[in-house]
Amino acid sequence: MPHQCTNCDRTFPDGSKEMLSGCPDCGGNKFQFAPASAMSEAGGREAESSGRERQSIMAEESDDENNGTVSRATETVRDWVSSSSSKSKTDTDTNSPDTNRYRSWPDGDGPVSSSSAEAGDADDSTTFEEWPDTARPPADRSGSESEPSREETPPQPSSSDATAEGGSERASPPRRSATIEDDEDTAQADARSAVVSPDDLPPSVSESSDTGSEGGTESVPDTEPTTDTTPPDHGRVVSEPSGDRPSLDELREELNDQFESIKIVNPGQYELNLMELYDREEYIVSLQEDGRYVIDVPDSWRDSDD
Amino acid sequence: MGLFTELKDSISRVTDRLFSEQEPKRIGIYGPPNAGKTTLANRIARDWTGDAVGAESHIPHETRRARRKEDVEIERNGKTVTIDIVDTPGVTTKVDYEEFTDEMDKDDAVRRSREATEGVAEAMHWLREDVDGVIYVLDSAEDPITQVNTMLIGIIESRDLPVLIFANKIDLDDSSVKRIEDAFPQHKTVPLSAKEGENMDEVYENIAEYFG
Repeated sequence: MPHQCTNCDRTFPDGSKEMLSGCPDCGGNKFQFAPASAMSEAGGREAESSGRERQSIMAEESDDENNGTVSRATETVRDWVSSSSSKSKTDTDTNSPDTNRYRSWPDGDGPVSSSSAEAGDADDSTTFEEWPDTARPPADRSGSESEPSREETPPQPSSSDATAEGGSERASPPRRSATIEDDEDTAQADARSAVVSPDDLPPSVSESSDTGSEGGTESVPDTEPTTDTTPPDHGRVVSEPSGDRPSLDELREELNDQFESIKIVNPGQYELNLMELYDREEYIVSLQEDGRYVIDVPDSWRDSDD
Repeated sequence: MGLFTELKDSISRVTDRLFSEQEPKRIGIYGPPNAGKTTLANRIARDWTGDAVGAESHIPHETRRARRKEDVEIERNGKTVTIDIVDTPGVTTKVDYEEFTDEMDKDDAVRRSREATEGVAEAMHWLREDVDGVIYVLDSAEDPITQVNTMLIGIIESRDLPVLIFANKIDLDDSSVKRIEDAFPQHKTVPLSAKEGENMDEVYENIAEYFG
């Protein structure tokens, strides 16, 4: 369950585009990532950094008001990376591929002081190529749902969990990362690039700010000092610097094509997403048993049936 | 009286001019399946126009297309309100033909299920754009706190539509109006039995007050 609505806790599979138009259940537009496979990487300052990254991702997903947080996290990451052996990659870009950072990150164990054993043990490159896909350890999230200051605090429970489980999980990352890397090249990259693009988000900074403070889980970005004026790089979360990123319109079209407001379980058995039905301009006038349905967009209410 | 009538006529002319090009307010009768929406719509329509709106059934999803009864004039305490009653299909998140197979053969049950699903889609669509007020009908013998009820009431509230909650079926032994009042304390709850015609005076008073 890599994606989770912070409002109603509904989860979405990795690569899902459902949340591009808000949570179908509650309409919420804030989501967080919780990849199951990130546990093995979550440890010590790595966990902290991933927490920061996730937080900044959340901030950008939910709203682009939190540029300061994003930028700060970016800088933090960059600093760490710079202190390791990959300066050349990190100081070249502000709007470019975080992949570089992620991938170069493990080259130096410097920043990962508290989990050096694990870091040294793991296959660095594969681990961190996997990172973009699994950037947010679930343990980090679960331990910090109600903890407003988690950004500053490495989630200790997750760290210990990760350490405990590290031995058993360490064998799998290479295989897993290969698969995920493939996925990342396709739909997921699209999905995530869209998720983080501010164009896709509600423009209401103030509204989101309110929601954030109410929601608790989103309060961290608000409390972060936002004095850093470095503009955020929109594609940073995705870490796929592909030049052929589809436009938002295309994505939304695809989303609308894919998302079902009515799920035909079997002929005669249906599951309805009321919120989606309510939100839709068009409405369904004829359900076909082959899984298709006919929709119509009426100008206004017509009482032609009586 | 003459003065009053004259004044009323004068006001009527003004309001006619203001609203003559608008249709009467469309009041959507919403609620889960089998709450008694059509029975209520028929009761109202028969009381004020002499005609029925649609067929009633104990089998859920009898109403699968919204039906409208236009220009229903309801008079209360000297005040007349004209509304269009829109009887909508029962809103639900799941429709399963097996619910109906006791009552009909499978093909009919599947068709009923499909049409009911389309009806829910239409009802949700109209809730978005085409109703000016909502009568939300609940079976007072059932638990009112369901996902569908909460979601629909929430949508109605988000649209700032005037809404009355009708606690129907008070003739049943299990009926509990209080349970509904407690579930939605922010809205006026009117107890009634549309089937038996109980408490219809209060029903019409509230319709006139809320939708007039």
